[in-house]
Amino acid sequence: MTFPILRASLISAAIATLASTVSAETISIAIGHQSMCTDTYTAGIVVKELGLLEKNLPHDGKYADADYEVSWADYSSGGPITNQMMANKLNFGVMGDYPLIVNGAKFQETDSLRTLYVAGTGYNVKGSGNSIVVPVDSDIYSIEQLAGKEVSTPVGSAAWGMLLKAMQDNNIPTADYVLKNQSPAVGAANIAAGKIDAHSDFCPWSEIMEFRGTGRKIYDGSETGVPYLHGVVVRQDFAEEYPEVVEAFIKAVYQAGEWIRADPMKAVSEMEGWTGVEKEVLYLYFSKGGHLTLDPTIKPAWVDALKFDHEVLVKEKAIPPLDFNAWITEDYVKAAYADLGVDYEAEKAVTVDPKENNAGLPMEIWHARDGISSYPDMAAFLTALAEMTSTGAKLNASYVYDSETGLKLFGKTAFWVKAGDTYATYLRKGEAESYATANGGALITFEDAIADFTIEG
Amino acid sequence: MQAAISVIIGQVRLIWPRMLLWGLAFAILSQAVMLLALIARFGALPNYVTFYHWIGNVAWIITSTPSWSDIPPIIADEWLIEIGRMNYDYGTGISEWSLNVMPSRLMLLFGLGALIGLSADLVRRESCSIPARRGATLATGAAAMLVAMTNATMSWVVCCATPTWVVGLSMMGLGVSTSLALERLGPVFSYLGFALLIATILGLAHRKSARQSPYKETTHA
Repeated sequence: MTFPILRASLISAAIATLASTVSAETISIAIGHQSMCTDTYTAGIVVKELGLLEKNLPHDGKYADADYEVSWADYSSGGPITNQMMANKLNFGVMGDYPLIVNGAKFQETDSLRTLYVAGTGYNVKGSGNSIVVPVDSDIYSIEQLAGKEVSTPVGSAAWGMLLKAMQDNNIPTADYVLKNQSPAVGAANIAAGKIDAHSDFCPWSEIMEFRGTGRKIYDGSETGVPYLHGVVVRQDFAEEYPEVVEAFIKAVYQAGEWIRADPMKAVSEMEGWTGVEKEVLYLYFSKGGHLTLDPTIKPAWVDALKFDHEVLVKEKAIPPLDFNAWITEDYVKAAYADLGVDYEAEKAVTVDPKENNAGLPMEIWHARDGISSYPDMAAFLTALAEMTSTGAKLNASYVYDSETGLKLFGKTAFWVKAGDTYATYLRKGEAESYATANGGALITFEDAIADFTIEG
Repeated sequence: MQAAISVIIGQVRLIWPRMLLWGLAFAILSQAVMLLALIARFGALPNYVTFYHWIGNVAWIITSTPSWSDIPPIIADEWLIEIGRMNYDYGTGISEWSLNVMPSRLMLLFGLGALIGLSADLVRRESCSIPARRGATLATGAAAMLVAMTNATMSWVVCCATPTWVVGLSMMGLGVSTSLALERLGPVFSYLGFALLIATILGLAHRKSARQSPYKETTHA
């Protein structure tokens, strides 16, 4: 073997070795999500269970021979996700607005590590999702009545931020009520046992309490007018090394939303199995007219809302500063939309307001055997309910809309007003009473409303 | 000061095995006390325990964090064991409370215990007035309390919360606003505790060196 041949052989061997190393690369993708936080599902449990990320991962170009190792870790809050991301045990994190801000700020506090806010998962433009609940038998019906009472909340959460703002908006200084720090599960248990006057929590805890008949909502986050949103953060080093993987993740988020929109009843039934959260509660979020608008786009209003939330956190928890321009990027979500052939700017420009969007939507009944049926007006809805209950049919839930805000409500937890032959439903008692007074009507129970349409014999 | 430090070095040489025992006992007992406090406060036994691959995680953090200055605080937050109570009433389960055994805190508590052992030994050998001995004991106790309290790693799982020392105070009924205000002062209290303990040890050593000096002079005379 001559020297040039030897050299050529060595170079070839080296190239071959290098090539095999690249082709054998295993890309680990670790995602932290929250199966007890509904607004994260389209970037969490749905993507995981349907294998949507795997379906979108690139297998061409530099990824031609790459192997992927996708792992999911479930957390009950966003804080630990941030810690795990800092330790580089998670690449992606899915969380609500307040934890997202803490995530960005904590990373920017370091010398060498950063995260990027790359996509949303869903939102409620007015802030629904967070709410204040009282024990179902409580004589408290409005936030004003919380002066001098004990109120608990998971401190540091979006629900905590909402509570602070709600109290300020209603001129209730912090000295006038006792704020307690309680986890969602503890707060819900205390509401059920009547051990706390009120509990402020995030989705879907308030609705779980309502559905289980232990709690009653007296204040909805939409009254603060601050959007409530969730999103996806990714470690910047990972995003820069594997931008196509980040795009694949965002495509999966979009497709998860499409999957839910295609058949909400089927979707929530599946999600109940994955998360343990009752499907009837999930339907309140994910159905047409539900609390949650699934949308990965990053709107200017969201950036403003996040800035507002950051100010609250700086004031209350002394969190580090956050450079929003460096943290938020639309590059990946735009690229993902382009790949999917969806008009990003058009979707970004659309904001769903429940009051406008839900006007005229039909009421719904979820029959345990027959599924969900829709009714265009109250008479048809109550007639159907009367017929079903008279036959002893098992009903999972019924859904109406708050006449004031357009929010979707359980029929059984709404305040009902009968004025002449018309019926109206409200989230809050005060507004129901005002409507009744103005229209010569009276507050009635849900059962009374159904009884009006029950045919004897 | 030089003489006091010499006394401390001499004392450490003499009793280092006892100091190690103090450190070990303090680190372990503090974890046991925290766990008992959680059980007593919430009236329930733990129903889950998770062991973490601490060494592997630390190695991974070191290899994947570009800046050396970022590494220590990230490692400090790494858990070795998590023991707590899971509530399965909602969803797939939520950890209501837990004790998080963190090697970084164990090491700190070990150091604290060793210093307490040294201080206790110096107090025991202190042949001065009873008030001075009581003062030193009190200062050592207060310092131990400050450091141990601010390095508690109990987690009372509230949304978005991580283990923080004020959980203990919250469990005892301290208001949220006060807890949040105090949370930021945790490191300050911790440093204060260590400073108080070190000052106490130095004070005791100084007294001892001052007593030893005339005796030495006489022997050399």
